[in-house]
Amino acid sequence: MIPAKIEAIFIQITTDFSGVIQNIDAGKFAKNEFSLQESIYEVCPFLEGTVEALETNKPFLLEGMVIVSNNKEYNVDIELFKTENSIEIIIHNRTNVYKIVDQLNQNRNDIFFIKREIAEKNKELDRLRKIADKANEEKSRFLAMMSHEIRNPLNSILGYAELISAEKLTDSVADYIKNLSSAGTNLKVIVDDILDLSRIEAGKLQLASEKISIRNIIQNCENDFKHQQKNEKATLKFYVSNNIPQFLIGDSVRIHQILSNLIGNAIKFTEKGIIKTAVKVVSEDKNEVKILFSVSDTGRGMSDQQITKIFEEYQQNKLSDNRIKGGAGLGLAIVNRLVHAMKGKISVESKLNIGTIFFVEIPFKIVANTITQPLTSHSVKPLINLKEKKILVADDDTLNLTIVSHFLAKEKAEITMVKDGLEALSKIETSSFDVILLDINMPNMTGEELVKKLNIFQEFNAKTPILALTANTTEEDIKRYKDIGFSGVISKPFTSEIFLKKIQEVL
Amino acid sequence: MIAKKVLLVGNFGVGKTSLIRRFVLNEFSEDYISTIGVRVSKKVVEYENETIKLMIWDVAGTSGNEKIPKAYFLGAHAAMFVFDVSREETYLTIDENLQMVKELSGLQNITIVGNKKDLLTQKELNKVIEQVSVNIDLITSAKENDNVEAAFMQLTAQTLN
Repeated sequence: MIPAKIEAIFIQITTDFSGVIQNIDAGKFAKNEFSLQESIYEVCPFLEGTVEALETNKPFLLEGMVIVSNNKEYNVDIELFKTENSIEIIIHNRTNVYKIVDQLNQNRNDIFFIKREIAEKNKELDRLRKIADKANEEKSRFLAMMSHEIRNPLNSILGYAELISAEKLTDSVADYIKNLSSAGTNLKVIVDDILDLSRIEAGKLQLASEKISIRNIIQNCENDFKHQQKNEKATLKFYVSNNIPQFLIGDSVRIHQILSNLIGNAIKFTEKGIIKTAVKVVSEDKNEVKILFSVSDTGRGMSDQQITKIFEEYQQNKLSDNRIKGGAGLGLAIVNRLVHAMKGKISVESKLNIGTIFFVEIPFKIVANTITQPLTSHSVKPLINLKEKKILVADDDTLNLTIVSHFLAKEKAEITMVKDGLEALSKIETSSFDVILLDINMPNMTGEELVKKLNIFQEFNAKTPILALTANTTEEDIKRYKDIGFSGVISKPFTSEIFLKKIQEVL
Repeated sequence: MIAKKVLLVGNFGVGKTSLIRRFVLNEFSEDYISTIGVRVSKKVVEYENETIKLMIWDVAGTSGNEKIPKAYFLGAHAAMFVFDVSREETYLTIDENLQMVKELSGLQNITIVGNKKDLLTQKELNKVIEQVSVNIDLITSAKENDNVEAAFMQLTAQTLN
């Protein structure tokens, strides 16, 4: 006696060689589908063509076949045995087993197709990223070009404002000129910020890795802001901890930029009280020292909501800020990116109407064999007298040429002015100079082309320093100019102080 | 009427079930359900004045070098190897796969069909044809009912060789 549960999962049938059912021997699985003297091929079409090929007295197994009973599909395994005059067939219902196989198989195949789809999407994303990168590069190129175009007229505006302010003026005209200079300076900051941001976004920002002195950077900040800070109700204070190493490896220009930005902001938003810049060591090992810079003020402070947005581009907390305080709201976005590029951290704490503190923590590599030194005062060299110094200036922009001639005339230099590269060439070939100042973009012959003609300098100006006067101020540009023979670059727009300082450096 | 057992083999997802559905029922579905086990479909065809009942075995797709059970080939008269023209992995090792099918089935000639031509441009298709190391008998599209009948007729012809 076969238990009912077992009977339900199989059926044993005997057929003749053409598949006609001779007997239903045992089991009840799908029994309704099978009738005596009818073909088994109707229910088991896979047996047609197969049973004829069976070898006699040799068991044969067909796994994973599908049959339909009462409109439902079943997975079955079939055992076949051919005797001299009949074929024994056992059909096992293995639907439950195959259900798992089915799921596994479906899952495996689904995973394969999902993987393939992801790979295709990734390819598409890669393509789109390249398009976006290209567009971004174009944008950066456009910004660099625009900033160049803005710098040239800006140089004239600032230069003339400076010259006019040195004249005898009525109080109201002096005020107008002061406002003009201030607007021009703000515009310069905006142009520089936009260019910096586009450079960072394009991944073109290259940080210098050179020996720097944190003390000197702080001292320079102190000197810079002492002159700029006109508000007597607000006091600037600077503290440098004694254990700051004398020299570290870093980028002094960018550190100065970060601090100038934070201190400048603090000054802008502090009507009275103290603006304090402090520097201390957070941690130190034999290779690296982490330094914390903090800039605190007693200004108007910020709400929590404002703090969340201050590192975003074009962000100023009050709509009127960019009118009253100047700038495009890019400064902190740039500071944030610079700090991160230096693998540092920046954070801010603030309370409305009490004040704000910015913390910047930056790791620096230590220079071997350094000793700590107390803060020494930064010495500013007095400007040299250019009296009787022969200076050739070549610039096709008459306004710029006039400004430069005024700056130099004040210092009593002997100036030779020319308006293009060819005129400059003839002067260089026939007279000797103490300094040659060349604009880059000049008609007939550019400053670059001129410098490359080494032989023209041989006779009279073999050792004369040559400075580029240019609004092309990217690091790549400056490097290229120095590579081809320029001694230095005076970036437009410039003040008389910067202009003369650059000349002093090469004399 | 004579009955002939034929098998469709090839990697999973190449469209074996779709080709059979198109040929037998003239239907097509975009849904992909992998085949488990073997479904056998019947179709009566006329070929060179012969009426032939094709017993078409839709064998579950394989992956890589996975073997098809040898028992499936018992009594088989012909086989079709299907690959997907849009999926390189289904035809890159076609040489080895065909050899395996030949050894298991004892069949000397296998009909080779590249399916899903609707997914490629003519230029891309030409590149695939160049890349496939064996002679392709037919390029089909079950979705667009392109060359499906011809592929099964070629298979039928093979059953009579």
